[in-house]
Amino acid sequence: MIRNYLKIAWRSLMRYKGYTFVKVSGLAVGVSCCLLILLFVRSEWSYDAFHTQSDRLYRAWQDEAFQDQRFINVITPLILGPTLEADIPEVEQTCRVMSLRPIVTLGANRFTEAVLMVDPSFFDLFDFPVLRGNTAAPLAGPGSLVLSESAARKYFGDAGAVGQDLEMDLGDEQRRFTVSAVVADAPQASSIQYEMLISYANAGTLMPQQARDNWFNVNTETYVLLREDATAEAASAKFPAMMRKALGEDYPEGGFDIYLQPITDIHLNNSLPAGNQPVSDPKYSYILASVGLIILLVACANFVLLSVGHSGNRAREVGVRKVLGARRRELIRQFLGEAFLVTCMAVLLGLGLALLLLRPFNNLIVRDLDFPADWGFAGFCLVLTLAVTLLSGFYPALVLSRFNPARVLKGLMAAAGGSALLRKGLVVAQFAASIALIICSVFIGQQIRYFQEKDLGYEREHLIVVPTNMGRQEGIPLAERYRTALLSHPEVANVSVDLYSFAETPWITMGFTDEQNAYQSFQYNLVDPYFVETMKLRIKEGRSFDPQVTSDRAGAAVVNEAFVRQFGLQEPIGQKLPGRFPPRIIGVLEDFNYESLHSPVTPLVLTLQPDSMMRYTENVGMAFSPQPRVTVRLKGGSLVGQVDLLKTAWASVAPDQDFEHTFLDESLAARYQAERRTGTIVKVASALAVFIAVLGLFALVTLTLARRRKEIGIRRVLGAPASSIVRLISMDYARLIGLASLIAIPLAWWFMRSWLRDFAYTIELHWWVFLLGALGALAIALLTIGVQSARTALSNPVNSLRTE
Amino acid sequence: MLLKLENIYKWVNQGGNRTFLLKHLDLEIDEGEFVSVMGPSGSGKSTLLNVIGLLDGFDEGDYYFQGEAVHQMRDKERARLQKEHIGFIFQAYHLIDELTVYENIETPLLYQKVKSSERKALVGDILDRFNIVGKKDLFPSQLSGGQQQLVGVARALISRPKILLADEPTGNLNSRQSREIMELFKELNREGMTIVQATHSEFNASYGTRILHLLDGSWTDTPEL
Repeated sequence: MIRNYLKIAWRSLMRYKGYTFVKVSGLAVGVSCCLLILLFVRSEWSYDAFHTQSDRLYRAWQDEAFQDQRFINVITPLILGPTLEADIPEVEQTCRVMSLRPIVTLGANRFTEAVLMVDPSFFDLFDFPVLRGNTAAPLAGPGSLVLSESAARKYFGDAGAVGQDLEMDLGDEQRRFTVSAVVADAPQASSIQYEMLISYANAGTLMPQQARDNWFNVNTETYVLLREDATAEAASAKFPAMMRKALGEDYPEGGFDIYLQPITDIHLNNSLPAGNQPVSDPKYSYILASVGLIILLVACANFVLLSVGHSGNRAREVGVRKVLGARRRELIRQFLGEAFLVTCMAVLLGLGLALLLLRPFNNLIVRDLDFPADWGFAGFCLVLTLAVTLLSGFYPALVLSRFNPARVLKGLMAAAGGSALLRKGLVVAQFAASIALIICSVFIGQQIRYFQEKDLGYEREHLIVVPTNMGRQEGIPLAERYRTALLSHPEVANVSVDLYSFAETPWITMGFTDEQNAYQSFQYNLVDPYFVETMKLRIKEGRSFDPQVTSDRAGAAVVNEAFVRQFGLQEPIGQKLPGRFPPRIIGVLEDFNYESLHSPVTPLVLTLQPDSMMRYTENVGMAFSPQPRVTVRLKGGSLVGQVDLLKTAWASVAPDQDFEHTFLDESLAARYQAERRTGTIVKVASALAVFIAVLGLFALVTLTLARRRKEIGIRRVLGAPASSIVRLISMDYARLIGLASLIAIPLAWWFMRSWLRDFAYTIELHWWVFLLGALGALAIALLTIGVQSARTALSNPVNSLRTE
Repeated sequence: MLLKLENIYKWVNQGGNRTFLLKHLDLEIDEGEFVSVMGPSGSGKSTLLNVIGLLDGFDEGDYYFQGEAVHQMRDKERARLQKEHIGFIFQAYHLIDELTVYENIETPLLYQKVKSSERKALVGDILDRFNIVGKKDLFPSQLSGGQQQLVGVARALISRPKILLADEPTGNLNSRQSREIMELFKELNREGMTIVQATHSEFNASYGTRILHLLDGSWTDTPEL
């Protein structure tokens, strides 16, 4: 029986090849699109799950109350790890992971590298396989250095890295390390990323004993491996007692709490601040997952539409089978089997398509995803096949099996099949999804362009940043020599030497307690007198730094408008900074967006010397290594072409050091990667949704025309012009698409409004974009319908009437 | 007696008017009869055949098949009765286009859950008997009308029904093909098969052992010509 079903299914599919093609390819496109998107979403959701002990691994975080404010941090005191191990029986092992960005020297070459200082338990807790060298105890001593495979290749090429020496600047010292082992690169879906690993035995070089034992000095991530029989709740319950014991009389009741976060929760939990690695907004995976499912549903709707629409052609077969003794159940089974066959074809084709498109997709979203060859994935494909079979096959099966044989065989049954309401509903749903996606992709595109084009308050074009990869003492003189060398070139407009460029934000975060006993914070950057000029910032009041005025060096500060507003300064010029900071304000800059456009402009202080600020701040936060960076403004022309000029000048001042550079506009664009990725996917998805919907519409109109062939023939004989026939057919569908627009527009508006809430600076949701989306879909649909119906309308009516 | 219709009514309501398709109709058919039902278009021939064949219901009256009260049966029993005892032949043959001759004939057996080996034997026999072994792998579109109807008859007979219902079986055939089909019916009838055919043609009707005339859903003694 099954063989018989499959045979007839296959033959009827082959008999209507065009129709089968539309059905299968529509579903295949939907499946492949859905698979690729879900692959991305899956990788987002499965971060850090590759550790075999991931269900027992946690990261500790702290909630510290200080005066009226709470400081939540995943960066913890150094002493937390050992304390947890000693005091909490549920804890099997801990590992501190501290992120450093020191300068690494090999011969004459210097690089800034991502180095992690970790406890030796690192390789017991985590699944980072040691490939070569001392696999038993890779971080045995303070001088041991473990390289990632790519770092080993970068420094030593194909020659063996193990046993080689590297110098690393730690604190004020340059220390020699010997490569003890090479470890595999961290997978992309890991919240722990490294180029090099050194042992925690080096902590003493970085900070004094007092800082290492202090509970109020936070420096490191602390990972915890619980015993197999322990729960996080049981362990957490003992934390308050542990803290009371550790802090003694310093313990503010309920004021310093430690919590555990499952390691697999790290990547998508943006309610906690980011640790060593940035986290993702889970919203984007939800958005993308829904886009993937919408595409799949549009494709399924298409399948149902076509199957039901086509059912007229199967009506006679159903009638005959019923006469021959088929029961309804058997017919339902037959048509479900057919749907299953088509779905299998579509899923296989979709899989192939997805495999083919994986590389372009990876390029598009800047990821390195791969299809997993595991049972989970196979199971997913199977479930997908079954779900799509049911979703797409059940309704047509019901409709087809319901036909009354006596009527069908007499030819009384119109080739309609299925309720008109459902058919119309599906068309409306398809187009509503398509229109909403079109509108959203236009708005997302506009917002991304806005990111790139908004006036930031400085001129972002023609800027190249060259890091010195040196500490301040050495770096500033080198950078200034470089500046002089560059200024002799007519192509160079200006040069500024600063601790941070616009590519590395946030800058330094400083904090102090004001007279009302409230904690205040602002951003700080160490600049040179040419900063304002080079970046083309606008001065609101007062003046910029003057290289000729010596008092500017130690005692002057330039602030931004946000600073003036935040601290309520009247007549700011000449005033001392608030708090205990001694510099006086000599100028106020118009607000400029030195941070990303997700957040509004925050208060900022610029000075020429760090001491007056560093000495009086209560808190210092740095996200990037402080080192002199040279920002070069070129007069114009191709930036890439002028890199050589910068390189030659670099070689003249630092002959034995590698030249590094970044284009500022590229660094700025990278800030909006998540938005751009979503934008790209939504854009492609909306194009696909439209494609599938149009494909379906085309087939549906073909079927409608076949059904109304006689009616059209009669109308033509009675003298109706072809254009009126086209109008007749088009109007039906135009109404449906109008209805779809009415559903899509509020949906799109709602989605976009909630998306834009994430940004401090946004575009407006112009009404014409909504109109454009609706009209665009209508135009495409009418074109499809028009071409098809014109062909029927223009054919000789005698042909269609004669067959009766 | 094979079947008995008593006082059968069937109607449709159209715009407040009731149109009778069958009206006060009685019919008894014995096993081994060959009944020809004649009448002009719209007289109710097809409707009557559909009612007898359980393809269509009726609104009033009693129907007994082999003494069982069909009008009191549930759908399931009726379906079983139809599947096991009734064979249909249509004017438009109604073969399934996607199946070969062999598969078309085999289909009723599939629905009766007949075992594969037995199916093979039964289909083989009937192909032999109708001299169409050579055509068994062809599709309906590759056959002439007469050959298609031959397959239609073979398919109706494969499940060994008690009664064969033929609705204008030769309506789409030329006279030579018609005669062949009628000869076949005659022979089947001689072997004991009960046949009811609806037809326009006096000549075809004359093959029957009994001729009935239908007009506007009721029997009439004087056939209108």
